[in-house]
Amino acid sequence: MLALQILIDGFAISALYGLGAVGFTLMFGVCGVLNLAHGGIMVIAGLVGWWAAANYGAGPYGGAAIGTLAGLLAAYVTYFVVVRPIQRSRTIPRAEEEIFLLTGTLLWGIMIQVGSDYVFSNNPVTMRAMIPGVMHIAGVRTPRNEVLIGIVCWAAIGLLTLLVNRTRLGKQLLAASINPRGLTLLGFELSRIYLVVWTIYGLLAGLAGVLLASFIGVSSANAGALTASAFTIVILGGLGSVPGSLIAAYVVGYAETITAYLVAPTLRPIPALLILVVVIYVRPQGLLGRR
Amino acid sequence: MRRTPLIWIVLVSLLFGLSAPWWLGAYFLGIFTTAYYFGVFAMSWDLLFGFAGEVNFGPTFLIGLGAYGAGLLNTAGWPIPLCLAGGALAAVVGGVALALPALRLRGPYFGLITLVAVLLLIDFIVIFAGVTGGEIGMMVPDVLSISARVNYWYAFGFLVISGAILFGLSRSSLGLILQATGQDRIEAAALGFNVTKHKLAAFVISALFSGLAGGMLTFYEGTASVDTVVDLSIAVQIIIAVVFGGRRTILGGVLGAIFLVLFDELLRPLGQLNTFVVSAIALGVILFLPDGVLGVLLRPREGR
Amino acid sequence: MRHRWVVRAGAGAALALALGLGGGTAPARAAGPGPIKIGVIAEESAIVGQSISQGAQLAAADINAHGGVNGRKIEIIVYDDHSSAADAVRAFQRAAEQDHVKAVVTTFISEVALAVEPWAARLHMPTITPAAASDLISKQVHDNYARFKYMFEGWLTAPDLALAVCDSSHDLFVKQLHMKTAVIMSEDADWTKPLDDGMKTCLPKAGLKVLDEIRFNPDTTDFTPIYNKIEALHPDVIETGIAHVGVQPTVQWHDQQVPIVLGGISAQATNPTFWKDTNGAANGVVTQTGTVAGLAITPETLPVAAEFVKKYGHFPAFTGFTAYDAVRALAGAMQRAHSTNPDKIVAQMEKTDMAGTLGHYGFYGRKSPYTHALRYGTDWVSSVFMQWQNGKQVCIWPAKLCPNKMVFPSFVKSVHLAAK
Repeated sequence: MLALQILIDGFAISALYGLGAVGFTLMFGVCGVLNLAHGGIMVIAGLVGWWAAANYGAGPYGGAAIGTLAGLLAAYVTYFVVVRPIQRSRTIPRAEEEIFLLTGTLLWGIMIQVGSDYVFSNNPVTMRAMIPGVMHIAGVRTPRNEVLIGIVCWAAIGLLTLLVNRTRLGKQLLAASINPRGLTLLGFELSRIYLVVWTIYGLLAGLAGVLLASFIGVSSANAGALTASAFTIVILGGLGSVPGSLIAAYVVGYAETITAYLVAPTLRPIPALLILVVVIYVRPQGLLGRR
Repeated sequence: MRRTPLIWIVLVSLLFGLSAPWWLGAYFLGIFTTAYYFGVFAMSWDLLFGFAGEVNFGPTFLIGLGAYGAGLLNTAGWPIPLCLAGGALAAVVGGVALALPALRLRGPYFGLITLVAVLLLIDFIVIFAGVTGGEIGMMVPDVLSISARVNYWYAFGFLVISGAILFGLSRSSLGLILQATGQDRIEAAALGFNVTKHKLAAFVISALFSGLAGGMLTFYEGTASVDTVVDLSIAVQIIIAVVFGGRRTILGGVLGAIFLVLFDELLRPLGQLNTFVVSAIALGVILFLPDGVLGVLLRPREGR
Repeated sequence: MRHRWVVRAGAGAALALALGLGGGTAPARAAGPGPIKIGVIAEESAIVGQSISQGAQLAAADINAHGGVNGRKIEIIVYDDHSSAADAVRAFQRAAEQDHVKAVVTTFISEVALAVEPWAARLHMPTITPAAASDLISKQVHDNYARFKYMFEGWLTAPDLALAVCDSSHDLFVKQLHMKTAVIMSEDADWTKPLDDGMKTCLPKAGLKVLDEIRFNPDTTDFTPIYNKIEALHPDVIETGIAHVGVQPTVQWHDQQVPIVLGGISAQATNPTFWKDTNGAANGVVTQTGTVAGLAITPETLPVAAEFVKKYGHFPAFTGFTAYDAVRALAGAMQRAHSTNPDKIVAQMEKTDMAGTLGHYGFYGRKSPYTHALRYGTDWVSSVFMQWQNGKQVCIWPAKLCPNKMVFPSFVKSVHLAAK
């Protein structure tokens, strides 16, 4: 009974972690950008979604859609205002581009957090469940919304996989992540590909933020922690590897859940940290990372 | 000809700093005290980044270890000088522990590992909130002094001594070797220099000063908190300070730190939004002025 | 050549800046004594924190409308501490040294209050916290009076909060609902350690056996494992000690349909916006609070509440009331002392005996282990307990003030089970 509880509870939270991490790692894999404003984008999506649903009368589904779009918008701003200027800058030497990108996106993330704080206060808010009520899965009482979230996460990930593996656009993305120069030589416009990736990223992060708001709740104070969590999972799984991030998300999700249930709720974040430390020392490129 | 502006800048600054207690009020003395400690953070970072070429995204890992180490020892009853030493030691140990896996990595992974180190420290502090005060912070029993003037002298003295040492190192043979390895490690190794040993030395020195400064800041404020010494936003501010002042100048970091702290203070009437504005301006700085003030002043534009 | 120009311009700017700073810090030789400044250091982005500065400003306005303190007006200066002890300390130093305040009202977070307390001692600044509850705050005053006497607590200290929970639980859960067991669920923070210890001692005496004490990280966002763990023990009621979290555990309690009564202390549940923030999941939640809308605990309660609503557009969180009373107490002390000398203010604060907004307001003396904390009791401030019912905060305890019945959502089965 307890085992089933852990299985179900861990599944939903891991799926949510996975959705957030997949976008993050895709961004690095194809564009080479570690977006430290990631948590901020998720939070904005969640907050706007809540506001639209509660104050604007859009209802949970409308709110979810508006929130996701808000996430997309935030992602676009991140790209056009912060990332692209740094990538195209002539005064920043190539070797230091990475640190400027990290710093720039982090600053932007801080701006999002403070801005949200100002507009929404740091009180956590939750979006009303899209499907209220509970259901019983083999005797375990589970909120229906939680099940829905798990399904939506995997549907999104499934769509992404289809896109990457089956469509022409997807193949271009894959190629760009392996050898961007080669791709341009073949006549493909990198900037168009980057735009596509940022769009996918914005939708994924926005959706993750909205689902998080619906499942657990979200507040401007979470922005940093969400980035850190996505970051940890992505390093664990291997930068740039989508399957790696998914596996890592489940490892972290279940490690946390098992600890919370069987050891103590206070020690919940510890196993993920320990695993991370071990990985850094033993295999820094992560489980499925290249290089 | 190129030396002259630097000497003048240093002299004017020293004059300003030495005379300040006579014409600055207690409150602004406090602002500068904080800025001076920040300046040491910036200088330590510049040694590692500017010279050794290591993209350290987690200077606050070292600072935090120094600050909390000193704070915890003080809570256990140790006197301040021993706590400072203990904190600095903790930072050095942490720096070595970080350097070992990090130095084996190339490219973006080094920076990422340093970033992860900061996250790990934050998580550690929050989990053991009973001992460390968690996110909100912990109080330390002793302070350096209650007098704003005395605190100012401590900070100023510390800044000048650290600055002299770090600047001296950067111009010494160690500094030159670090620059060489930073720019082209293969060639440096080919010339017979032990690249890893020198980078490790840079790490240790950076950790020592960062940790010491972190400890002193803690005993100035009477508290250690994630917000002031560990948070990533502090790491970003340090990087901005160095970028603004001028990378690879060591002393530019001090200028940048003072400017940043003063600016933050100036915008205080905005209330909650002052962080927003400061971050926006910092973003502007890295986008439009990546060479920094001293960088522009000290490097003549040769045929650009 | 260009360099010299830049250097000269830079030096000139630096000089100008320096002169400006020096000039700006020269003490202003004002004509008369001017207003009495009171600093308010709080967490402006939290509703509970924002109510502190709002309540303080309201009190100042009321006092000024009635002639001020010995003819001088009260001026409130607000500082945001961003929920950080270090920021609060810096603000405290700024308030004392730059803005020359005569007293400080600060924070609802115990860790922040504890960080500020030594500075109040060092700088001889009368300081009062309108909500922080750690017993360490007052213990330090008791143990080292000469040093820490400047610190006051304007709300019940945690051991007294525990007594309030036990007293109300006895009446509400044991006598009315025939409950027998409880589980304590608290965030791991400074204020809950003495609270939990107090509850562990007095709940059995009140008739509730404590089956377990669960403390969780204040950063926790997923409460499912905690609720499942608690449910496995089959208690009748969960007595919470939460302030840093509130929305999330409540929403999850509702979404997961945890069949156990949620009671104890939930600071966020006292916010008037809590119903909306939780999308109504707060229905049935019981918590301690200062007062609810429409309840007249003293003759001051309703008028102040009405003024607050008029000025700020919403009913205050309980800290709005406690901060109001704190400023009134400080002003009263200054008035009686005819001085803003810190030691005289402290001596008069100790003699505070006024009708506050939440009850008869006075501080414990040196004989009590909680020197300078707010007095608790039926003759003093006893707090009230409320329950969210259909979007309204309904007062349910003490019975003589609040004869209203408790109503629980249908999924809270422990109510029916206990009655059998």
